[in-house]
Order: sequence, then structure tokens, then C-alpha cells
Amino acid sequence: MRIESFRRACVAVMSVSLISVGLQAPAAASVVGTSEAIAAARSDNPRAVVDAALARADVRAKLADMRVDQAAIQGRLAALSDDEVASLAGQIESAPAGGDALAVIGVVFLVLIILEVVGVIDIFKKT
Amino acid sequence: MIPIRLAGAVLVAALAGCSMSPPLAKGLPATAPRSIELSSTPFFSQEQYQCGPAALATLLVASGVDVTPETLAPEVFIPERKGSLELELIAAARRHGRLPYVLATTADEMVAELEAGRPVLVLQNLGATWMPIWHYAVLIGYDVERNRAILRSGDHEREEMRWQRFAGTWHRGGRFALTTLKPDVVPAIAEPARYVEAAAGLEAAGQRQAAATAYDAAIARWPEEPHAWLGRANVAYADGDRAAAADAYLRAITLAPDDPAPRNNLSELLLDAGCLDESRRQVERAAALAQGTPLESAVADSRAKIEATTATVARCKLADRDWPD
Repeated sequence: MRIESFRRACVAVMSVSLISVGLQAPAAASVVGTSEAIAAARSDNPRAVVDAALARADVRAKLADMRVDQAAIQGRLAALSDDEVASLAGQIESAPAGGDALAVIGVVFLVLIILEVVGVIDIFKKT
Repeated sequence: MIPIRLAGAVLVAALAGCSMSPPLAKGLPATAPRSIELSSTPFFSQEQYQCGPAALATLLVASGVDVTPETLAPEVFIPERKGSLELELIAAARRHGRLPYVLATTADEMVAELEAGRPVLVLQNLGATWMPIWHYAVLIGYDVERNRAILRSGDHEREEMRWQRFAGTWHRGGRFALTTLKPDVVPAIAEPARYVEAAAGLEAAGQRQAAATAYDAAIARWPEEPHAWLGRANVAYADGDRAAAADAYLRAITLAPDDPAPRNNLSELLLDAGCLDESRRQVERAAALAQGTPLESAVADSRAKIEATTATVARCKLADRDWPD
């Protein structure tokens, strides 16, 4: 009798520990957080492409040398319609990839065009 | 290489689109009131405090949080920069259980917020593009007849600014505008993706209860928004409510069948619940969907873990014998 219940207890302990070996350890670690999932889903959005181009350290440095302020660029970008941003993103994507000097000049040139040409300060949505 | 086509497009857009700085009467939606002033909005003078903490305290107190600029200042004021950053303001609002909602870069949402009785924090550049003077203020109203924006700003309890000047300073400041919402409130013309992202920010900041409330509000408003369901599921899972999490993951998968995230998380949940075969099936599907996306390595990690677990737990150590029927 006593041996029987001892065995049962052993089995219980063993199965619990076996299951928990694999299951407990990094349980929450591989759950994709909501913010992460949203960011991943957005990565093909044209505004994200433009933002990524502007966030590159070499582009930022070049713009800073030219005393172009990031917030000013954001303001101008906000004034562009989705179609215009998509066209801009297309231009950036078709430029040579990597940290290549030509690509930097390309992005910087685009930014300067935006700053120069889009003189809109109409802050309401155009209908 | 790049520019000529785009220059053309932008030039056409510019010529077609825009007169410079129209007065308020031109842009204001026809349905909006002719004037609004949220006169009960508190005022914290910037004389003693910097504009970031003062403006954020104005918003938080207006949304029912008990704070003062003094208590906020250490959270948001960065002495080396002599000011605050948007991200600090957003993080501080989250710490106080409010949902910081960054408004659209057009003024329509600002007006809608004012209509709903909520003041709006704005970043202004009072200088020029090439020589910025940054300033946070709180928009509390406008007046179409007099063409004015009405602000709590700096040491002015009530500042009136010509609308065009306000529009220009906000535009040159990068068009940043923020409200702090109680987590159960969804703005009248909110964009689902932006709202859910804000809720996810609360979740990431460890405000699980507030995030759950915000996801529920988002689901009530946009029952078809997959990321709201994903967020609700993630919060339920973190709270240990596996059944609710499973249902919400299923809903997210139905609404966004190509998104690897809810499948990945569902596979984790199934593993956690001891459903190994189903877990493996889901993670394999997630891995196929995640190929070439930013989630590829996260899903690969889950898959490796699930396979390792299956190997330890489920492998028969005595497979070399024939067992009786």
C-alpha cells in the first residue's frame, strides 16, 4: 500500500517536472509584443520607407551639415499626400542601396526639393 | 538618377494644391462649431517650470490625473537639452495611466478633440526653420470670427494667436499634437491603427490594466481591427487567462490570416497549455508566413523552442520494442 502511494507520488512529481522542463523556462520570451507586430506589419508602408531613409545616420549627418532641421522635414512630409509619399518612397527604393555616397546625395536632394517646393501651410485635410 | 520625375510630381502638387496659410474660416470643417474655448482647463505658468512639464500637467490634470509640474519635471525635463522631448512626454503620460494619442498631422483631429472637451498639447517652432525656438503649449480653443487660436502658453494663462501664425508655428514644429485619453475613451475621428498602436505603447510600458481597457474600447469601436485583438490576447495571456487569450488570438488570425504574429503567439500559448501537436502546427504556419518579414527571427526562436520541447517531452524512449495491442 505504502509503496503504491509512494510510486504514485513519484510519477506525479516526475511528470510535473518533465512538463515544466520545456514549458516554463522562457515562456513569455517568444511572444511577439503588440507594438512589435504593428511595426512589422507597417514596414512596407511608404511613409516608413521615407522615415527609414531619413533616419539613416549618414543622411542625418549630411542634412545636419547643411543645417536642415529634422522637424522641418517632418512638417513638410506631413503636408504631402499619401500618393506623393508613395512616389517619394518609390524613388528612394529605386536608388542604389547601402551606405553609398550617391544614395545619400539622392535622399538629401529629395529632401531639399520637398523643402523648396512644397510651400503649403494649410493644416486642414484637403478634401 | 532620382529626382526629375518626383520634382515634377511635387511641383504639380504644389501648384495645384495650395495657397499659403489660409485663415481658419477656410479650412475649418463645416460641421465644426464656430468657436470653442475650454475655459476650465487648468493653467500652470511656465515661469517656474519649463514648458514641457507645464503643458503635460495641463493635459493630465484636465483628464483627471492628480499631478503638478513639479512632480512631472524630473520625469520629462532633460537639463542638458533645456527642454523635453515628445517621447518623454508620451512615456510620462503612460506612467500616469493615460493613453497618449498622437493626433494626425492635419488639424481636423485637433478640432474634434476640442469639440470633445479635451485640450491638445502642441509643439510649436516660434523661430524659423533654420533657427528653431521650440515651445510646448496647450491649444484650448479657437474663434473663427476673430481668426484666432486660443492657448495656455508659457506664462500666459490665455494667449490668443492669429490662426495663420499658429498654423505656421505648428507646421514648422513638425505638426506634433498630443492628447492624453482615459483608456476607455476613443476619439471621435481616431484612426484605428494609430489608436491601437497607442494602446500597445501602454502595454509595453507595463500598464496592462489600462492597455486591456484601451484594447476593449478599440474592439468595441472597430471589431474588425486585428491588432486590437492581438493586443487583447497578449494582455490576457500575460494575465494568465489562457481561454480568453486563445479566443482573441483566433479572432486576430481570422481577421489577418497572413500575419505571423498572432499565430506565433498562439503556438506559444498552446505549448504552455500542453497542446504540443497543435502548437507545432501553428508555429510552422507562422514560420512560413514570417519568411522575409521582420518577425522571421522571433518566429524561428519560438519554433526552435517548441521543437526542443517536443523532443524532450514527447519522444518515446523505448521505441525499439513492439508493444501489445
